[in-house]
Amino acid sequence: MDELTLLRNAHDEIEPPSDAAMAAAKAALIERIEAESVVGAGAPTAGRSAAGRPPREHPWRRRVGFAGLGTVAAGGVIVALVATNVLGFAGWRGGADAAAAAVLHEASVAAIANSDPVVGPGQYLRIDSSAVYGTTVGGSAGGASASFLTIVEEELYIPADRDDEWVWIRPLSSVYETFGPESEEAARLSMEAVTAGMGADYVERLRAPRGEFYGSPALHDPARLDSLPRDPHRLLNQIYTETAGAGQSPDGEALVWIADTLRTGAVPADLRAAMYEAAAMIPGVTVTEEQANLDGRVGIAIGRLEEADGARQDLIIDPATGQLIGERRVQTRDDGFGFPAGTTTSWTAVTTSVVDAAPEGGTPNGRHDDQGCVKGEQPGSFDCPNKR
Amino acid sequence: MSDDNEVIRRSADEPAVFGVLFDRHATSIHRYAARRLGQQAADDVMAETFLVAFERRAAFDVGVADARPWLFGIATTLMKQRARLEAKAWKGMVAALAAEITPDALERSDEQIDAERMSRRLASALRALHARDRDALLLYAWGDLDYEGVAAALGIPVGTVRSRLNRARRRLRGAVGADPTSDLERDHGRVDAAAQRA
Repeated sequence: MDELTLLRNAHDEIEPPSDAAMAAAKAALIERIEAESVVGAGAPTAGRSAAGRPPREHPWRRRVGFAGLGTVAAGGVIVALVATNVLGFAGWRGGADAAAAAVLHEASVAAIANSDPVVGPGQYLRIDSSAVYGTTVGGSAGGASASFLTIVEEELYIPADRDDEWVWIRPLSSVYETFGPESEEAARLSMEAVTAGMGADYVERLRAPRGEFYGSPALHDPARLDSLPRDPHRLLNQIYTETAGAGQSPDGEALVWIADTLRTGAVPADLRAAMYEAAAMIPGVTVTEEQANLDGRVGIAIGRLEEADGARQDLIIDPATGQLIGERRVQTRDDGFGFPAGTTTSWTAVTTSVVDAAPEGGTPNGRHDDQGCVKGEQPGSFDCPNKR
Repeated sequence: MSDDNEVIRRSADEPAVFGVLFDRHATSIHRYAARRLGQQAADDVMAETFLVAFERRAAFDVGVADARPWLFGIATTLMKQRARLEAKAWKGMVAALAAEITPDALERSDEQIDAERMSRRLASALRALHARDRDALLLYAWGDLDYEGVAAALGIPVGTVRSRLNRARRRLRGAVGADPTSDLERDHGRVDAAAQRA
């Protein structure tokens, strides 16, 4: 038997595509064809229907979690372990499964090989992010809660000399997805409330040295990023220590910490490489989707399912370049907050580039300054004349 | 019935007729993708191939009657993003191939051990091939394209297809134990139904 016959015989029993697969593929094609026909006829492109900004805590801090119960005990255990063990916690209890570890290792090597673009004197590192967040309203007084997703697309300009002024452009967020009539109504009311004050077209402009917007140190603080260990073991131990007591589990929270830090887009290549290797040492981390599409870009999703609350945190990586495409949280089962099982309840996609100039304007406190607010007693808090 | 190029030409003004191409060729694209990547990924590749083809239909050479090489070329490009899946599919192939060669799995004969060894070698030889050679070989063996078809799919001259196929087959042949030095163009053992189909 020659090699070609051998090859042809292999997989000779392959099944034809299922009717469902054929129908879905055909429908996708028809939809694309129709979309083009509409555009060709001169129909207006879809605009932003509503814009607004849901109430939120400190920007860039981790999103409001729906979890948070039952973490104290686990945190206590972790603190004890970290405190009493010179060797630390990382790498003791296994790690990511083999496939995920291989992808992370590959990405780590690629991150080093494809080093970051150089930001020359006077230039800026521009970070574009698209971020989707879940908002949940109601749920009190016996009523069911309703949830919806909003999206915001922001630009951050970090100067070559990071002590110089940073610029941050933040349009209002708009509704990204709703889940049924109640959700739609909740989204409408929320957007109305938010846009009532500043108008739907309001764009917040911030400008502050060292990125200390709203009087708080930036999560991108280069000094902080510089201080993190590049050795994956040490890095992961430090992450366990910093996150002790937060989240549902130490391992889950460690991966969330990595995702939150990476999604800033400001993590240098060597640290990014170390973070991938650190993620490869977290038990429960697996390849969760081979072809994950995030905001139109495709990469491999590496993540960890938290059994306790059914939430899965993914990193989406381009393994060829070691670039982070983004991160997402998927609610794998109905959690009673109004998101159908399987909903991606939040995601962030980031791209970075080097530019010669940053936009004009902006103040250190952005919308707080625009509204005539003054700094409150608590760090990062403001007292505003028209406080709603 | 009009040829593919006529369909594509008309679709410039009447996009809806492009659906005809899907009805004609979706199954064979799927079959090729399923052999390389497995059933599930093949569903995606099939769907994406026609979306990409539709968007790039202006670039299709309307002098060519058959759109299959063009579609297979798009599918092959899309599959590059799924190299990891492909490696996994090859592992499955080893098992499938061994079963194919020796149907009687209960009696573990020397022949079966040979067959298993041979298929394992074949799979690892496939993995070791340069991606360019592999694409040419698999378009030929699994995509059922002839030399001209492979050339059109990959956008390379026919002579290059010939040399890539020769190189790939020599590697595989060496791996499965046959004489790697025999002249492949005059190989009587080759199953070449596709090449004879115009």
